[in-house]
Amino acid sequence: MKTALMAGALALLMPAMAAAGEYDLTVDRVMIDTGDFVKEGIGYNGASPGPVLRFKEGESVKINVTNNLDEPTSIHWHGLILPFEQDGVPGISFDGIPAGETFTYEFPIVQSGTYWFHSHSGFQEPNGAYGAIVIEPEGREPFRYDREYVVQLTDKHPHDANRVMRNLKMMPDYYNRQQQTVGDFFADISKHGFMTALQDRLAWGDMRMMKADVEDVQGFTGLINGKGPEQNWTGLFEPGERIRLRFINSSAMAYFDIRIPGLEMTVVQADGNNVQPVTVDEFRIGVAETYDVIVRPKTAEAYTIFAESMGRSGYARATLAPEEGMEGPIPELREAPLLTMADMGGMHGMDHGDMAADDASAGMDHGDMSQGAMDPDGMNHDSDMAASAGTSMAGMDHSGMDHGAMIMTEGGASDPFYADGSGLVPVAANGGKFLSYADLRAQKPLYEEREPTREIELRLTGNMERYSWSIDGVKYEDAEPLKLQYGERVRFKFVNETMMTHPMHLHGMWSILDVGAGEWNPVKHTVSVQPGTTVYMETEVDAPGQWAFHCHLSYHAASGMFRKVVVEGGPDQGNTAGVDVAKDGGDA
Amino acid sequence: MTVSKLFIAAAAMSFTATTFAAGSHSGGHGGDIGEPGHADDVSRTIQVEMHDNYYEPEAIEVARGETVRFVIENKGRLVHEFNIGTPDMHEAHRDEMKMMVEHGVIQGGKLNEDMMDMGNGHTMKHDDPNSVLLEPGQKKEIIWTFSTKTNMEFACNIPGHYQSGMYGDVNFDSAADTQARAD
Amino acid sequence: MRTLTLSAVALALTLPSLPALGSDMPQDNSGRKDALTLWGVQFEELEYRYSDDDEELGVWNGDAFYGTDELKFRWQSKGEYAIEEEAYEKLENQLLLQTPISDFFDAKAGVRFDTPEGPDRTYGVLGLSGLAPHWFEVDASLYVSDEGDTSAEFDAEYELLFTNHLILSAALDATIAFTEDREIGVGKGLVSTETGLRLSYDLFHRSFSPYLGVVHERKYGDTADFAEAEGGGTEDWFAVVGARVSF
Repeated sequence: MKTALMAGALALLMPAMAAAGEYDLTVDRVMIDTGDFVKEGIGYNGASPGPVLRFKEGESVKINVTNNLDEPTSIHWHGLILPFEQDGVPGISFDGIPAGETFTYEFPIVQSGTYWFHSHSGFQEPNGAYGAIVIEPEGREPFRYDREYVVQLTDKHPHDANRVMRNLKMMPDYYNRQQQTVGDFFADISKHGFMTALQDRLAWGDMRMMKADVEDVQGFTGLINGKGPEQNWTGLFEPGERIRLRFINSSAMAYFDIRIPGLEMTVVQADGNNVQPVTVDEFRIGVAETYDVIVRPKTAEAYTIFAESMGRSGYARATLAPEEGMEGPIPELREAPLLTMADMGGMHGMDHGDMAADDASAGMDHGDMSQGAMDPDGMNHDSDMAASAGTSMAGMDHSGMDHGAMIMTEGGASDPFYADGSGLVPVAANGGKFLSYADLRAQKPLYEEREPTREIELRLTGNMERYSWSIDGVKYEDAEPLKLQYGERVRFKFVNETMMTHPMHLHGMWSILDVGAGEWNPVKHTVSVQPGTTVYMETEVDAPGQWAFHCHLSYHAASGMFRKVVVEGGPDQGNTAGVDVAKDGGDA
Repeated sequence: MTVSKLFIAAAAMSFTATTFAAGSHSGGHGGDIGEPGHADDVSRTIQVEMHDNYYEPEAIEVARGETVRFVIENKGRLVHEFNIGTPDMHEAHRDEMKMMVEHGVIQGGKLNEDMMDMGNGHTMKHDDPNSVLLEPGQKKEIIWTFSTKTNMEFACNIPGHYQSGMYGDVNFDSAADTQARAD
Repeated sequence: MRTLTLSAVALALTLPSLPALGSDMPQDNSGRKDALTLWGVQFEELEYRYSDDDEELGVWNGDAFYGTDELKFRWQSKGEYAIEEEAYEKLENQLLLQTPISDFFDAKAGVRFDTPEGPDRTYGVLGLSGLAPHWFEVDASLYVSDEGDTSAEFDAEYELLFTNHLILSAALDATIAFTEDREIGVGKGLVSTETGLRLSYDLFHRSFSPYLGVVHERKYGDTADFAEAEGGGTEDWFAVVGARVSF
C-alpha cells in the first residue's frame, strides 16, 4: 500500500542487512546568544540549535542520547515514521531519559526529506532543545540543486518558558503589546466614522475578545540557525546556482511569513514530502512545519531571507550572498494584522447579537471548497472534487453578519484555508504569489486513495481569558485517549472554535491534508487550522501503539490542547515483539 | 468567464509568435536555435524520458548542423513538456504555460484538449515545431536541425517544473564544431 | 511550574486504564498529564497617598494565588497605614478558594480578617470575580461578620490604553451594609466609595509599572454621621504615587 512503509517492514525483518548509522547526542545546558540578549537554555552537543542529523533512507540508525541535565529529557523525531517506542514522548512512547543517563534510540529510516527533532519534556524545546534532520533519499530527488542549506527558525524569548507559561496564565495579554489603543480608536473614527468605530469596539468588547490577539507571546528575537537578525546567518552561493533551502519552523509560538526579496522560491517539499513544484514570492510557515524551496540567484549580490512573524511583532533575518559579510537591505516590518469577525466565526456560545456565528461556520466548509476557490473560473480540475465546491463558496451567505457595523480588513485577499474575510489572510509583500495550502499537491501519492472508514470531528477549543486550551472542550488532564483501529483510514475534521491558529501535529502517522485534490492531496505531519475554519485531513492508521496528537504551540499544548492516540489491533497488538526483534537485530 | 475566454483567445493568437520571437530578439537573426528538420536528414535518434519532474538524460551532445530525431516518452504521472530553446525563450514561454494551467488546459496528469479549442477559430494548441506536450504514457517525436551553435536547453515550462530542475543542457560537440567551421 | 505539582499521585489514581493494550504500554504519569499548577503575586496598588488635609498613607491592595484552572487558593490583602500615626487605618486579609463557574467568572469563598483600629472582625466571604463584557474587571463579595452583620462590596476596574505601555486605569470600590455595625463605624446603606484614576507606565514587562494618580474616598449616610461624630472627615482627596507590581 505504501512503499515507504513496506521498506520499513522489510527493514524490520532484515535488520542485519540494513546499513547502520550510529550517532551520539548529548543534552546540555547551553548559553544562547541572540544578539539582543544572552539566555541560558538547553541544547544538543553543546549548542542550540543542535547539529543537523543526516540520515539516509533505508539505513537503520542508532542514536545514543546522553542526558547531562539535572532533569529528565527526551527526543522526539518530528515527522519520522518509526515504532512508537522510539517516538520520544515521555509517558506515551517511553519513560523518558533520566538525568545523567544514556538512552539509545534505534529505528529504520523509511522516508526522506527535511525534518527536525526536539525535546518532548516540559518546556525544554522552547528553551532551545531542537535540531534539524535531513534524510537523503534512496533514489534521486525529483528536482535539482547545486547546494543546500538548512534554515531553521525559532522565536527565542528572553523569558524562560516556564515563566512565559505562568505569565500567560496570570495575564493572557501579558506579552501582547499590539492591543488597540485610544489612538487607534480615534484613527478608526476618522476613517470609518464615529458610530462604526464605536459599534466595532462594542462588538469586540461584548465578546471580551481582542482583534489584536494574533500573537500571544511577543518580545522574542527571531533566530535562523541560532543567529539573531544582527548576527545574520549567511549562506554562500555562486551566481546561477540552484540552492535548496530547507526551512524548518522550530518556534514555540510564532508563525513566520518568509520571503527573499529579488528571488522567487519554488516550493518542492512540505513537511518532508515532495510536492509538485509551485513557484511563489512568499510563504507562511506554521509552527513545526517544514518547507523546502529552490531559489536561483543569478547575480552576485546579497539577498535577505526575511521572516516576519505572522503578528509582525518580530522577525528573523539571514542572508544569501556570494561572499561572507555582504548584506542586502532589511525590509520594514509590515503592519500587524487584526482579527475580524470572520475569524470569530467558529466560536460557539458567543452572544453577539446580529452575528450568526454558527451559521457562518456551518456554511463554510473550507476543506471541501479549496479547489473551487483556487480555480477562478469554476472549472473542474479533478473528478474527485465535489462539483459544488466552486459554488458553495459563492453561495456562502454572510448576510447574517452585520458587516456594516464592523470594520473589516481591506484588500479582499482570500485563501480557502482562512475564514472568508479573515484578517489573517497573507498577502505577498511584492504583490505576487503567496503560497496557500490549496496550492500543495503531492508529487507522488503516498497511499492509494480510498474512502475513509470513518470521520472524527475534533473541535479546537479554548478560553483566551483563562489561557486554557483544549480539544472538544476537554483538556489533556481530563481526556480519555482517542482510539483508532489499525488498518482504518480516518478522516479528521478540525473545527477551530478559537480565534487562534493551531498547528495540529499527529505523531507516528501521516496527515493527508484535504485540499480537494483526491489522491494528489499533500501529505503532512503538521496541519495549521486557522480561526473560524474547518479543515479535513485523512490518516491511514498504519502504526500500532500509542502516539501523541497535539497543537504544536508550546503553551497551548502545555495548557491542555493535547491527546493521546491509541492504535488498537495490528501486528504488534498486546506486545512489542516486532520492535524488540529490530532492537536486538540492530545490536547483532 | 467571458473575459477569461477572451484572454485565452488573445494569448492563443500570440502563442506561436511569442515562442519564436523570443529567440529572434536574443540572437538578432531568425535561425537562432535551428529549425524543424526533415526525416531524410536524420543522422541519429535520441530517446528522452520524462519523469516527475526531470528528464533522462539531463544533457545531450549535438553537432552543429546535425539533424536529430527526438523520441520523447512521458513516463511520469504528470503532464510534461519537451521544448528546445534558449533560456530566454523558455522564460518567455513559462508565462504562457502558466496560463494554460490556470485555465485548466493542463491539470496535473491531464491535458484537456477540448479546452484548447476556444470554439471561435482560436485555439490554444501547443503545436510549435520545437516542442511537445505529453500526457503520462504518451510518446511523440520531434525532428530538429541544430544549425546554429548557441546556449540552448531543453526544458519543461509547466509552472514550477523548470524552476525545480526539469531541464537539460544541449551541448555542442566541440570537435564536430571545429570541423563545421573548417568546412 | 510542574516542580510545584503535588497532585501527581491523586491524578495517577484517576488515569484511564487501557484494557485493549498490553500492560507494557507506558502510562502517562508525566507532568503533562497533571493540571498545570501555578502561582502568582500581584499588587494592583502599592502606593503612597497624600491627602488634601496633609494626611500621609502607605496603601496596598494585592493578592497571591496558588493552584490550577479548577481550584485556586488566593490570599487577598488590603491595607492602609497612616505614616505619621504609625498605625493601620485599615488591614484586611482574605483567604479564599476560587473555582470557575463560567467562561469569564469565578466563584470564591473563604474568610476575611479585619484588624482595624477598633475591634477586630472576622467575616465569611462569598464572591464572584471575573471579566464583564467590554473589559470591565469586576469583583463582588458578600460578607457575614462574626457579629452577624451583613455587607457587600463591589469593585470594578477599567483600563484605557493610551499606548500599549501608558495605561490609565479607573477603579471604583463601593461598600454597602445591610445591617449597622456601630462598633466599627458602619451604618446601614451605602457605606463608602473609593474612586481612583491612575496613569501607569509598564516599565519592566508587566512586572513593574509605576503610576501617578488621584483617589477620592467618601463616606455616606449613617457611616458619614458616625465618622463626623468622632471628629473624622467624610471625604478625602489623595494624590497617589506608586507602582503596579506582579511576579
